[in-house]
Amino acid sequence: MSEKHRADEADRRRRTTDGVASETVNPEQPDAVEVFPEGEFDLRPGADDCYKCTTCETSCPVAAVDKSFPGPKFQGPEQWRLKRKDEIEIDPSISECSNCLRCDTSCPSGVNLAQMHNTARGEYVDNQLSTFSIKYVRNRILANYRTSARLASMFPRTANFVMNFKPVRWAMEKILHVPSERDFPEFATQTFREWWSERGGAQVTNPDKQVAYFHGCYANYNTTEVAKAMVRLYEYFGYEILVPPQKCSGTPMFANGMLDDARRHAETNVENLAAVIEDGADVIASCTSCSMALRNEYPELFDIDGIETLAKNTFDALEYLRIHEDLHGAIQDASVSGEFAEEFAYHAPCHSRNQGLDRQAIELFRDLDGVQIEDVGDSCSGISGTYGWKEEKYEKSMKIGAEMFEHMEAAEGTTGMTECPTCGMQMEHGTGYDVHHPLEVLEAAFVD
Amino acid sequence: MAPTVVVIGGGATGTGTARDLAMRGFDVTLLERGNLTHGTTGRTHGHLHSGGRYAVSDQESAIDCIEENRILRDIAPHCIEDTGGLFVQLEGDSDEYFQEKLDGCAECGIPTEVISGEEARRQEPYLTGETKRAIRVPDGALDPFRLAVANAADAIEHGARVETHAEVVDLLTDESDVTGVRFRRQGPNYRGEGSEGDVETIEADHVVSAAGAWAGQVAAMVDVDVVMAISKGAMVVTNVRQIDTVINRCLPKDEGDTIIPHETTVLLGANDEPVDDPDDYPEEQWEVNMMIDVASEMIPIIENARMIRAYWGVRPLYDPDPEGTEDTGDVTRNYFVLDHEERDDVSGFTSVVGGKLTTYREMAESVTDHLCDRFGVDAACRTHEEPLPGSRDPSILEEYMGRFDLRSPVAKRSVQRLGDRAPEVLGSEDPNPVVCECEAVTRAEIRDAIKDVGADLNTVRLRTRASMGNCQGGFCTHRLGAEVYHDHEAPTARDAIDELYQERWKGQRHTLWGRQLSQAMLNHMLHATTMNHDADPRLRGDTIDFTAFDAGRKTSTVTDEGSTNGD
Repeated sequence: MSEKHRADEADRRRRTTDGVASETVNPEQPDAVEVFPEGEFDLRPGADDCYKCTTCETSCPVAAVDKSFPGPKFQGPEQWRLKRKDEIEIDPSISECSNCLRCDTSCPSGVNLAQMHNTARGEYVDNQLSTFSIKYVRNRILANYRTSARLASMFPRTANFVMNFKPVRWAMEKILHVPSERDFPEFATQTFREWWSERGGAQVTNPDKQVAYFHGCYANYNTTEVAKAMVRLYEYFGYEILVPPQKCSGTPMFANGMLDDARRHAETNVENLAAVIEDGADVIASCTSCSMALRNEYPELFDIDGIETLAKNTFDALEYLRIHEDLHGAIQDASVSGEFAEEFAYHAPCHSRNQGLDRQAIELFRDLDGVQIEDVGDSCSGISGTYGWKEEKYEKSMKIGAEMFEHMEAAEGTTGMTECPTCGMQMEHGTGYDVHHPLEVLEAAFVD
Repeated sequence: MAPTVVVIGGGATGTGTARDLAMRGFDVTLLERGNLTHGTTGRTHGHLHSGGRYAVSDQESAIDCIEENRILRDIAPHCIEDTGGLFVQLEGDSDEYFQEKLDGCAECGIPTEVISGEEARRQEPYLTGETKRAIRVPDGALDPFRLAVANAADAIEHGARVETHAEVVDLLTDESDVTGVRFRRQGPNYRGEGSEGDVETIEADHVVSAAGAWAGQVAAMVDVDVVMAISKGAMVVTNVRQIDTVINRCLPKDEGDTIIPHETTVLLGANDEPVDDPDDYPEEQWEVNMMIDVASEMIPIIENARMIRAYWGVRPLYDPDPEGTEDTGDVTRNYFVLDHEERDDVSGFTSVVGGKLTTYREMAESVTDHLCDRFGVDAACRTHEEPLPGSRDPSILEEYMGRFDLRSPVAKRSVQRLGDRAPEVLGSEDPNPVVCECEAVTRAEIRDAIKDVGADLNTVRLRTRASMGNCQGGFCTHRLGAEVYHDHEAPTARDAIDELYQERWKGQRHTLWGRQLSQAMLNHMLHATTMNHDADPRLRGDTIDFTAFDAGRKTSTVTDEGSTNGD
């Protein structure tokens, strides 16, 4: 399929969720009519696929703990079906959705719930949420975590002290409605990118095996050990690693309906990553919400040149190795001792589940000598990125997470494992366990 | 002593006539054999005509349409969605006819605006790329159910009596003078009076037949010939609104080329086939396919869109010159008031035939004027300036949007359906969950409708749109039944559920492919298995041997060891 064909195909798919083209707009013919204004797709036809079967509602973690939440069937196909053109009202309950997107994956008939929810949230924030409201300001700050993290990592020690200093947190709760119960993540004293340039970039050169690392914000500013583990592990397998310029993947922005912010960041990401893909690299991410955004939300929400190429060539770091290397064979002969020789209670993040990756760590580590791993079930951790960082949602977030905490307590081990930074936060918050990323364990298994 | 009049037919024309007569002081009884809108009105395309459609071929009708269009916007805004309309010219369609259409509209006083294909596609992105030009006209979507109910309600306000489920079986005569009607009840009326099989008579000074396609049958009761030129048309309902404007094809031969957005759906239609019997004509699959094909030429996405049902209606056309007409499509859309005393030497009897939904009010006015002449009543018509109930204060729509603690799209739809009755219906303190999810109908609306119409869920459906969404009642008929059960016995509620479920099923039979077929199967499994709806022992008269089932926990006996057995 040629690039142009692919773009056309994407265009068609976006225009109508059931693959019926009204008429594709050909970028090579500027005189073609652009009938949908930038980013305004009519999602009503997507409701055609819904049989009202309610599977989505049974998979919704918010609906399970909040009786007043109308659930994904209403937020998605029903609300869109009821809309008329030029109607701007979106039900405010859309902001109670945590954006776990389990509904999107669970739907047996392919209703594009993720796109419907994200678009509705964007419209709600644009048209109905006052930009002067505390809620808007708070959400904007949370959604633009990268901006805050960049500032904080200039003075990491000060930030670490201040952000968890009780009086400061009390004030934040009072003014910005950020719950004081939560512990702010520690900022690394050296960011991953600083470390990367200090070490002189890639240590392995291999034009046939190139990966571009999308580290996201968290592995860059906070858990740099995950990013470093990824680098050493991939170099062990002979990959040349590129770290192109990049911004936030947009996940927290989608979840807060800040689609303009997300688009700005997406433009940088698509431009830089599509360029390295053109040169033969694949893109990998260590955070499952980042890979999810690049693969799933980008082509659904934005129409940027090269976005389809990026979506098709993005992988989760673990998934990619399992595809391209005999990881299972290698695991048989490896063993782990020391810090990572643990019994892990593993939680699969919703966004890894949505990519079909929820069993990968379990399948991999049960054959690894020195490591025990136990799946703590398929419940949602409840934090959902910035969701659990809002005072009015903190209780709900903990209620959703209750089942996971319970299963973690019941598991043999007392160390957690997950691919998602905020799920890790929640696991730690609810149980007090240390939490690690699968890449750290793999590094311990293969790299001396 | 006011003259007594019986109006036969509870469609738009009948209810409109009853209203006008009652407003001018007549003592009116309206008889309808089914629900209100049971006949043609309930099976219309719901097109508020600008007249553009007839601007070339039938200018007299076109002028009536544009005049009534303006009046209805004033008196019944809550029955109208002002979508606007387009006559689209596709590549290859005649330029000459396009010009004729424009000229015709100008001659009839219909405002038009020519826009480019590009502009048309900006307004309606799903229009085909073949769109060359379009003419904007003030078409709209008209809700026939709300319209007839509002007319009937206002007639009752003015002292009329409205009898539904009351079929006229004979006209009473004294020599060649019609003196009243004999009718048989098909069931209790909306106030729960009477029961099935009751035969009653009503004496009247005059009988008006507004029976539409059935006018010939009514006239035949007194050996009067009214030869109707009825024709059927199929309409297909899509699941979502692909468009928000009425789209017509700008072609001289126009069958099935009007696409009308209605509430959450779009109606495709309608073809034009002559039939003999308005109660018995074939409903054929090719008609449904043809409607989809014709509409897809203008809106390609419709070709693969989900269709939720198809239905047929009959046009109550009357051809004053049957010799000269070759095709039902050419029969005039004009209406005629037939004074049978003048025409057939039968006094006390008038028929009103032909016409369109858009011109119902004018038809009612003509009949009423005619009766005022006859009885020497000196009262001017006011129906063109007195708003219908629910429409008195359009600003209320805005005011009550979202005030009732409902989800906003839900509140919006509710308030649009209820008009200025919204506060009265939605203002209660009780919890108000959504009962019909597809159409966002809440409990308060359903209870309000049941209070008015009794255990007749089909009429509740007409008033509220409950069960008219994409699951076609699969997920809500039983919930609606539960609301009936508040004021009625269980068997009554069950019968109401069955009747509605059947009615919903009937309309889907011609659209069972793809997604709607899957939906139908899911509905069937839910009702047949989960709810045992198809094998209810109560209905089958079976006796069930309950003892054959697990008898549950036996009485346990405690043994010496303290353990129990029998678990």
